[in-house]
Amino acid sequence: MIHFYHVTKKFDRYSTALQDVTCHIDKGEFVFLTGASGAGKSTLLKLILRQIQPSEGQIVVNGRNLNAMKPSQLPFFRREIGMVFQDFKLIERMTVFENLSFIMTVLNVPAREQKKKAYSALRAVNLHHKLNSYPLQLSGGEQQRVAIARALINDPLVLVGDEPTGNLDPDLSAEILQIFSDANLRGSTVLLATHDRDLIRSSGRRVLTLDHGRLLDERVATPERPAQRGESLFGIASS
Amino acid sequence: MARRLKHLDEPDVPSNSFTYFVREAIRRIWSSKRASFVAVSMMTISLLILGIFLLVAENLDRAVEQWQGKTRVNLYFEPEATGEEIAAVDAFLADSAELSRRTLVSPEQALVRFRTYFASVSDLVQQLDDNPFPASFEIDVDPKFVATAAFDTQMATLRKLQGVEQVQFDWDWLARLKRLVHVINLIGLIAGGILAVAAAFTIANVIRLTMMLYREEIDIMRLVGATERIIRGPFLVEGFVQGTIGGVAAVVLLFAGFVAAREALEPSRSLLWGFLFTTFLPWQKIAALIGCGTLAGWFGSWLSVRERNEE
Repeated sequence: MIHFYHVTKKFDRYSTALQDVTCHIDKGEFVFLTGASGAGKSTLLKLILRQIQPSEGQIVVNGRNLNAMKPSQLPFFRREIGMVFQDFKLIERMTVFENLSFIMTVLNVPAREQKKKAYSALRAVNLHHKLNSYPLQLSGGEQQRVAIARALINDPLVLVGDEPTGNLDPDLSAEILQIFSDANLRGSTVLLATHDRDLIRSSGRRVLTLDHGRLLDERVATPERPAQRGESLFGIASS
Repeated sequence: MARRLKHLDEPDVPSNSFTYFVREAIRRIWSSKRASFVAVSMMTISLLILGIFLLVAENLDRAVEQWQGKTRVNLYFEPEATGEEIAAVDAFLADSAELSRRTLVSPEQALVRFRTYFASVSDLVQQLDDNPFPASFEIDVDPKFVATAAFDTQMATLRKLQGVEQVQFDWDWLARLKRLVHVINLIGLIAGGILAVAAAFTIANVIRLTMMLYREEIDIMRLVGATERIIRGPFLVEGFVQGTIGGVAAVVLLFAGFVAAREALEPSRSLLWGFLFTTFLPWQKIAALIGCGTLAGWFGSWLSVRERNEE
């Protein structure tokens, strides 16, 4: 589903965000991407969305080689990917419903269908009663759930989250993770960038760890026993 | 059938992109109304200036056409011309098919006309011992005949007849006036054109400003897969609408100015200026004026959205 082949991304001569990264995420997988701040997580996600292009290497997402993609093909490619951001990126002047319908208008979904889709997407994140609220009238967790509903509204093949729980408390983080897990169960491949160790530990999912732009290791997180706490950097065991 | 979820019906969303473009464009114009007002005002002023030139030229042109339609030759006799000499000229005119529509104006009739048309200065003539006006013929000529060589020959012959002092036909100044109309049109087009381009750039800057205000939304739209057409459409419509409003406002102001000027300078009060405000622009020129605004607005918005800002 997502394939990186020896991908390097340099922003200038002295700044290398990613260095020779090769990794594969299969269809239907739920994978965490972790690493300290500045490790290259956001760069990797931007490469998947083709917001930026690699300096070297090849990236294939949903069977499409992003290096060879024409600008005119980009919008249609991005419609297959749902993106959730740490800062939600909701439009403040629009209501919750309008934030969702705005995206569907952009995607040319007929008005009647928009209403149905918006309602069911909000129901999936348990916010169908907040249709006419504005983002600033919602809590952080609620705003993030709206952002997830927006990402899910087009039934994406790939769901990407860039620190979606970064601004939330642990209970809300678990709730958000559950929504991602549900989307994964419905068939979306999920890639979640986070440095929330507890969230990763409790998941039992595969983890990609970046450090200074290099892919350190690929492991499967295992729920931690009290004795293991502090044994490794991210509390994850080798696969 | 009753709707199940009433609250879903409240925030309606257009299902086609054109409605979306127009609605978004109007909303964006409203949200940056000061800047939009400046842009529309610039466009209005530019097109108003162009419209004033077109209006003056239109009326001048119409007047020239009217005067050209009355192609008249005035033949003046010498003061001491005899009745036989006048009769000889009359016979010559009667023999010519093209010059036969003639009216003899006696010195007395000429004096009466002068007193009627120039009442304020008629006292000047009364102080003279003799009637200063000679007898004359007013000859109506077919405008097509005027352009022929035969006309020149006939005029030359008339000038040589006994008792004839002067043969006048004033088409030279009409030709000069016609050239003036062209110059006025040209000045209007150049001045209006330059100002319209300036207005288009103002619109371009206003739209750039709006694009900066909406940058976050544009980024989100790109990330969720909006095509450039969907992203740029509202901005193009915004320029289109601003230009059209500018064009319509210019026509409305021009018409209001025209009505006011016509009332202030009605022909009875001012022969000199009255004819400049007899008719308003024809619908084709009104449409062209509004079309100029629309086109300039669209051009301005196209300038600002043509760059792809993503990467």
